[in-house]
Amino acid sequence: MTIINVTLPFGVIKDISDYSRFINKILKYDISFNILKFSTGSSGINLLLDIPEGKIKTITESLKKNNIIVNKKGRVIIDDDKCIDCGACISLCPTDALHFNSEDRLEFSYEKCIGCLLCLDSCPRYAIEEM
Amino acid sequence: MIKPYTEINKRIKSGDVVVVNAEEMIEIVKNRGIKVAAEEIDVVTTGTFGPMCSSGAFLNFGHSDPPIKFEHLWLNDVHAYHGNAAVDCYIGVTRMADIRPFEYGGGHVIEDLIAGKSIRLRGNSYTTDCYPLAKVDTEFTIDDLNQAILCNPRNAYQRYACAVNSTDRILYTYMGKLLPNYGNAHYSGSGCLNPLCNDPDYETIGFGTRIFLGGGVGYVIGEGTQHNPINNYGSLFVKGDLKQMISEYLKGVNYEKYGTSMFVGLGIPIPILNENLARKTASKDEEIFTDVVDYGVPRRDRPILKKVSYKELKSGYIELYDNKIKCSSLSSLFYARKIANELKKWIEDGIFFLNPPAEPLPKETEYKPMKQTSELKFVKDLKRTAVICYEDCDIKTVAEKIITQNMNHIVITDRENHLKGIVTSFDVTKAIAEEKTNLKEIITTRVIITTDNEPIEVAGRKMKLNDISALPVIDENNKVIGIITSEELMQN
Repeated sequence: MTIINVTLPFGVIKDISDYSRFINKILKYDISFNILKFSTGSSGINLLLDIPEGKIKTITESLKKNNIIVNKKGRVIIDDDKCIDCGACISLCPTDALHFNSEDRLEFSYEKCIGCLLCLDSCPRYAIEEM
Repeated sequence: MIKPYTEINKRIKSGDVVVVNAEEMIEIVKNRGIKVAAEEIDVVTTGTFGPMCSSGAFLNFGHSDPPIKFEHLWLNDVHAYHGNAAVDCYIGVTRMADIRPFEYGGGHVIEDLIAGKSIRLRGNSYTTDCYPLAKVDTEFTIDDLNQAILCNPRNAYQRYACAVNSTDRILYTYMGKLLPNYGNAHYSGSGCLNPLCNDPDYETIGFGTRIFLGGGVGYVIGEGTQHNPINNYGSLFVKGDLKQMISEYLKGVNYEKYGTSMFVGLGIPIPILNENLARKTASKDEEIFTDVVDYGVPRRDRPILKKVSYKELKSGYIELYDNKIKCSSLSSLFYARKIANELKKWIEDGIFFLNPPAEPLPKETEYKPMKQTSELKFVKDLKRTAVICYEDCDIKTVAEKIITQNMNHIVITDRENHLKGIVTSFDVTKAIAEEKTNLKEIITTRVIITTDNEPIEVAGRKMKLNDISALPVIDENNKVIGIITSEELMQN
């Protein structure tokens, strides 16, 4: 499981029925998830969602389509097809989210990423994308 | 014990050959000793996979009808070099595409070519009686070419410096992104798997040595350019048939704000002809050292801060000034090992044989710096006296100085001449418009500075990067000893 931080802007979610509609849209993908934190901020309702790692892309794309803001603070994704396991990003990562496994292949621990984005322009293959 | 090449090749043919990679060799020598290892092991394979800027390929397109003699030509908008016969060219990996610089370059063209993709060829000519065609715009794949020959003047450095950055800003270099104040370290090379590290006296690697290159068979054709064996910075000049290669082992890359390059996969088999070679191929990461170098000093001779072993480098951290600095590679250890194992398999399968070099690599090549006939100018040669105001003066005093001294930049100091800030004529104008009177409200305190011994080009680049037009010159005690402005640079 992994954590994403989303904001439901005030204009988008007006009442409880809007809120249910939004949650149902995620449930539609047959994905179980936890709501870790619920708070109101200056721009809307902030939610911390704990979602399965493999479904990050599906969920974020669905949310964005419904005008839900997936907060950029945090989180990159690695395109394994482009990565050549060089390691140019590893020394830039302050939390060891980017690291080598025992076979010296690049591994990314999404939950450790704090979204500093220092790694973003270090990849010579453009394998690191901002979510 | 002496084991000749013929003996080893006989074993390859019969399938009895014993091949290990250089990492495995360390364990074998450790457990069973050099003597037994030398007798039992026939070949040790090595590998490296990293960015090698001195790489490129010769291509021959065949003749057009009517024929053309290229004057300029582009492959996917990357300018290729033409200075040979009519339809030959050399595509170099660091040349960037005219329309997509810092994204796509010669290395990507080579990768795309091997992947079988279609490449756009545009070329022009001044035309001659024998070559009347003025323009070509066509597409081709690697199969359409007569020859496609990877030819890399400098590959497989024995070792490479480990880069750090002492400055207060991020540096974007061919050693990757270097964080300020020694925030990280980057190194390159596979250490104990590196080809030349396993044969540092060039007993078996020389002119004509058959090697793994980009997933195909290649050859060492001599020492690399800048070959520097005396300081253990040996390098190789290699070639191979691009048509045999696979794009997994040749990858176009781009380093942010530096430019393009290409990862080259290269592996060399070391025949264990004698016990000496068994010992050398068992050299460990802790026995291979390189220098930690400060890339914050933009000069040829950058300061060497300490020596470090590949064992420490591969651990992910290095010690520097009593701090642990996060360290990672630019080259891929995973692929270096994969290449050594691939080569091992070729030999075990009896499809790759070993050959003695026609000539050994030179061992005493001198590595010289560039001869520069025009004198290098420094800040001290062009600086002028700074116009100074004390930090406790008011804006009016600064304004008067600007007018009487005809100077756009006023350096602010304390009574002991220590740099405190800078104020420009624009700052003063703005202050008047906004009715500000206190100098503190308009002073810039984070000042970009220079020193006497900084080359003019470096000072000029600082101004350009920061979009400013003057740099106070300070001494080692942070005291102001002058100023250099864009005017001096222009007059230079």
